[in-house]
Amino acid sequence: MSEFRIHHLVSELMKVLGTQGKEGPEVYTDLLLKNVTPYITTQVSSHSAKRKIAEFTKSPAEFLNKYDELKSKNVRDLDALVYLLSKLSEDKDVVSTLKDNSDKLLMPMDKISLPASGTKMSEEDVLELRNQLLAASSVASSQASEVFRKMMREKQAKKNTSLSLPVLSPWVFERPFLTGDFVKVSRPTIEPGIPLGTLPLGMQEMTIVHDLLTVMMGTEGKYILVRQSSDGSVTPYTFQVDRSLDTSLQELVNRILPICNNYSTVMHFIEDKSSFEFGVVNHALCGAMRTLVKEYNILIAQLEHQFKQGQLPLQRFWFYMQPCMQTMEILASISSSVDRGACAGGSVLSLLHEKTVTMIGDMRAQELCLFLTQSACAPYFEILEKWIYKGIIKDPYCEFMIEENEALQKEKLQQEYNDAYWEQRYTNCRERSPIFLETIADKILRTGKYLNVVRQCGHDPRCPNAEEILYTLKERQYVDQIDKAYQYASKLLLQLLMDERELVQRLGSIKRYFLMEQGDFFVHLMDITEEEMKKRVDDIIPSRLESLLELAVRTSQANSDPFKDDLRVDLLPYDLNTQLLRILSIESRQEKAMLHEMDPTELNISGLEAFSFDYVVRWPESLILSRKALTKYQMLFRHLFYCKHVERTLCNIWLLNKEAKRFTLYSSRWYAAAFALRQRMLHLVQNLQYYMMFEVVEPHWHILQDNLRKVSNIDDVLSHHTDFLDQCLKDCMLTNPDIIKNVSKLMLVCVTFANCIQRVTQTMNVEAEVSRLIDTGTPPKSDKDKDKQDSERRRTTTKVVSEHIEQLNASDDFTNTVHNFDSNFSSLLISLLDKLSLFSTANCEHNMMNIIHRLDFNGFYTVRLEKLAADRSMAAHRDEDLMDVGGAEAR
Amino acid sequence: MPREIITLQLGQCGNQIGMEFWKQLCLEHGISPEGILEDFATDGTDRKDVFFYQADDEHYIPRAVLLDLEPRVIHGIQNSRYANLYNPENIFISKDGGGAGNNWASGYSQGERLYEEVFDIIDREADNSDSLEGFVLAHSIAGGTGSGMGSYILEKLNDRFPKKLIQTYSVFPNQQEISDVVVQPYNSMLTLKRLTQNSDCVVVLDNTALNRIATERLHLQKPDFLQINQMVSTIMSTSTTTLRYPGYMNNDLIGLVASLIPTPRLHFLMTGYTPLTLGTDTKLASVRKTTVLDVMRRLLQPKNIMVSTTLRDKQSSHCYISILNIIQGEVDPTQVHKSLQRIRERKLANFIPWGPASIQVALSKKSPYVQTAHRVSGLMLANHTSIVSLFERTCSQFDKLRKREAFLEQFRKENIFKDNLDELDDSREVVQQLIDELHAATKPDYISWGTQQAAQASKS
Repeated sequence: MSEFRIHHLVSELMKVLGTQGKEGPEVYTDLLLKNVTPYITTQVSSHSAKRKIAEFTKSPAEFLNKYDELKSKNVRDLDALVYLLSKLSEDKDVVSTLKDNSDKLLMPMDKISLPASGTKMSEEDVLELRNQLLAASSVASSQASEVFRKMMREKQAKKNTSLSLPVLSPWVFERPFLTGDFVKVSRPTIEPGIPLGTLPLGMQEMTIVHDLLTVMMGTEGKYILVRQSSDGSVTPYTFQVDRSLDTSLQELVNRILPICNNYSTVMHFIEDKSSFEFGVVNHALCGAMRTLVKEYNILIAQLEHQFKQGQLPLQRFWFYMQPCMQTMEILASISSSVDRGACAGGSVLSLLHEKTVTMIGDMRAQELCLFLTQSACAPYFEILEKWIYKGIIKDPYCEFMIEENEALQKEKLQQEYNDAYWEQRYTNCRERSPIFLETIADKILRTGKYLNVVRQCGHDPRCPNAEEILYTLKERQYVDQIDKAYQYASKLLLQLLMDERELVQRLGSIKRYFLMEQGDFFVHLMDITEEEMKKRVDDIIPSRLESLLELAVRTSQANSDPFKDDLRVDLLPYDLNTQLLRILSIESRQEKAMLHEMDPTELNISGLEAFSFDYVVRWPESLILSRKALTKYQMLFRHLFYCKHVERTLCNIWLLNKEAKRFTLYSSRWYAAAFALRQRMLHLVQNLQYYMMFEVVEPHWHILQDNLRKVSNIDDVLSHHTDFLDQCLKDCMLTNPDIIKNVSKLMLVCVTFANCIQRVTQTMNVEAEVSRLIDTGTPPKSDKDKDKQDSERRRTTTKVVSEHIEQLNASDDFTNTVHNFDSNFSSLLISLLDKLSLFSTANCEHNMMNIIHRLDFNGFYTVRLEKLAADRSMAAHRDEDLMDVGGAEAR
Repeated sequence: MPREIITLQLGQCGNQIGMEFWKQLCLEHGISPEGILEDFATDGTDRKDVFFYQADDEHYIPRAVLLDLEPRVIHGIQNSRYANLYNPENIFISKDGGGAGNNWASGYSQGERLYEEVFDIIDREADNSDSLEGFVLAHSIAGGTGSGMGSYILEKLNDRFPKKLIQTYSVFPNQQEISDVVVQPYNSMLTLKRLTQNSDCVVVLDNTALNRIATERLHLQKPDFLQINQMVSTIMSTSTTTLRYPGYMNNDLIGLVASLIPTPRLHFLMTGYTPLTLGTDTKLASVRKTTVLDVMRRLLQPKNIMVSTTLRDKQSSHCYISILNIIQGEVDPTQVHKSLQRIRERKLANFIPWGPASIQVALSKKSPYVQTAHRVSGLMLANHTSIVSLFERTCSQFDKLRKREAFLEQFRKENIFKDNLDELDDSREVVQQLIDELHAATKPDYISWGTQQAAQASKS
């Protein structure tokens, strides 16, 4: 979580709590950040934290109870929470603030809603809350399994609407005697026969052993009565042994009896969890348990056999039972943990894993747990194998750690402005991932994702080392296998994209067009689309533009590009500035304001402003060249294209005005100024372009290429490419609204100036033409005459034009216009340079400095810039002084 | 086929440097002397159609027009390996075959007389291209054909194609050796007027400087025409390299030229090239380690400038109006920036005080088919006010002759001078104005200079 997010959450929390603390959220954010320790899993720290809280709180026992209870439910992040709470309890300030708060508020709000942000509450609050929750849950505990079952069903129904779960026939539930557990139907209590005590000791023993054997198989005995325990505690049943039984025997029997309870728990668990909705992991666990129960049954049968032969005194019975008792105990504890935690899938495995690890001292128990874990893991790993070796998820019960969101289609990559497909189509679901796979969960996710892409491209990936994955206590083995699969998958997809789909070449092709590397193509394109571009965007026929584009591609050197056919024309309904400012304002508060003021300008933009390229991207390149990436390319392109257009316009008036070299020298008054201004504009535009192309795009492109040569997986490719685009956008000054506006204003001044000059020149030419017609009324007689007249005409034209200029001069109109343009342009340019220098020093963007150096190479603007800077610092000083004065007054 | 350029070669000198130019282009594009694309060059990414077009078969034909009034040089071309390269219809030799006798007036009148035939060729060539960008004229200003006929063609081109760019590569005579052409100052002056008024961009190739560079830099005892012409062809081909190898910027002639020429009359450019080698004789020049900074610094050194003027004169305030460096080879753009910074800090170049100016850098690819010993090479096209000294020298030589009215008999024979010698004085006037303007361009108040002049003119 980033610092900002924490800050946000804290301030939200404070709002919810109604705290108007003096310190504001910053203090708490700092506190939280300081105390963030990413992994508090060690027992020691949580133990010490637990102890600390216990010391602090008024009711330590209660707290510890709750803690254990939650712990037994396998609640994640419990330790982290406890750790945080202990830290908080150390901090007197926070505690007092919170106390004040809780006193003031005294639960006026819905407490249940709080834990979501529950990173900061006094432990009293938490305990209270826990009490509430526990009370609520204990009420429901009797129906807990029903609730859970329903929940599972609903979840799966939501998920796979097409694939409905098979339903168990109702008779499974309706017939109470089907169970291996004790039958729950209340029966008329059978009158016990003769009290046992009256029998001789040998008989007593015989009878009670017989009864024990029955009870151990889940049937009530004659003298051992089974009663459902009423207090809802851990053991579901209580056993009433005939009181008259010999005390020593009774003692022994009582020692054996817990196994019956355990047996019952296990049987209940097996039968309950075997129904479909609990998922394959639970099924597998049940299956493994069943084999153990079967052994248990065999043991009982053997015991009975011995009993029949009269060779089973209770002592021996007790002896034989020993190993079995432990097994059943472990099974029962696992069953109840799973039951309590309402676990399924990954969390069952986490639980089993932890059990196995904790059994480390006890070989037999560990082996047992290992057996259970391995069995339970088998189906989970099968899903895993399918995922990491083939890229398919087959997970009907929603147990697997990776969730597939089928609503996200890959086609959306080409349409929508986000990376949702790649980011959210497959996601890691932390609660479902077994704890022992958590460290490599990301790797697993990516392995499958890569393979999935390959699969979607019509290939059938076959991992060469697709071996069965087995759960072992040593992580090494399966981690290694997953690692291998990951290597293979990333290499496969990378190969597919880089070699088969020629991604680098494709990016090169996109760079040719969108970043204007193919210069000759643009010269031609702008030549032939000149007329179209002037039209209003509604009047342009896209297909015509499209065919012109095609013509330009075919006749330029771009023709040698194998991907040229994927280039398309796109006419966007808004101009670049609108687009940029909108995107930039998304994150700021100006958004709403922007939306209002922008709308009317969009209605009539010219073709030039609307023009952009589009590029046909196919799957799987669309992973990299998603709509988002293409939009960034488009923004860069439109900016560069507009600069090119301005350059072209200025060059055109250069061509128009080249006539002037023949005018007599002294008429050159007005246009010396105009020429100088045009030159400055051209200088700006060309240097701007040079900067963007050679100092921004090209170096970043080199970096990208270097990086792409080194990458090992597609996520890296993606991030490098995104970096490239973001860097380009930033260094092309497209990320700062102020600078964007300034640059666009500058461009606008250039274009208006060019248009103005063009108009003036044209009127001049027309007048010259008219006066020539008047001057030479007679038509030419012969060729030679015509020739002479031709040059004569030229000369007159020149003369007339010069005269016209004289007139212009006299009126001073034009001089003023030029002067206005000049001052406008200068002030804009100076302010741009100033902003850039400010920006570059403030943000350490030294690249920006380069453009200042380029634009002001001979120090032409330096004086004015310095003056501006001096003025600003003066103003700043003045402001400070004012502030000081104001402050003094206030005091 | 965008932005074609038609090359006109005029006279002895023009045809010789044109010949070398086309040789160089063929080499760089992998085109054989017969005009066939070599096998190794079939999938190049270069743009040949700016300077060539394809005939119905596989032949590449230069967009070139060869004009001369005497057959010697063109016959030489027609007997060389490159005989079949050109379109025979584009080769024009005057039927008189007498040449212009180093007489501007004769060349001018002959141009007038041959107007129809010459412009038939030019029009055909222009119609052959979809979006003609302009003309390149190669000639010398001192002789008869290149200067006289060239002047006439320049005037006419400007009339007929007012919207097209006209660039000339004009060879200025060697001032160091005594010329056998006595009327050289007249010829130069008359041509200079046309270059000022009818050309959009003049690349000045000063024979004085070329010879100096050949002896000093290339250590040639007695440089011959061929070697000098090779240097010229290197400059011509390099200055068009951004057009032929498309990149981000400078993909049309106008973009190159417009930034160099702020006001229409100040369009005389000087050039510099480094590192210089001659043809395949790379042994002569020692191979150096070339870096961008190295190349850019060398380009600013007067000894590498191919115009014999004093660039760094303490007394005068001559300065660069604009500079364009075309850098070829493997160049890291960051190096370019660093070099520019260095040049700026060291103040290696003086710029005009009346506007922003900087060293524009065009990075260009190198031909993959021509092996060079150097990693980086560079061409500088610079608009520098000191070029005025070249014109002043011409003026003083002209004035000496004009005062004595010497050697004018041949001129008076031709139409244009039949009645009076006004044309000479007119030319002198135009060149003087150019000189004044160039001097004015060194001052901060250049922009208002025109106004002041006009005010003075109206007062007097």
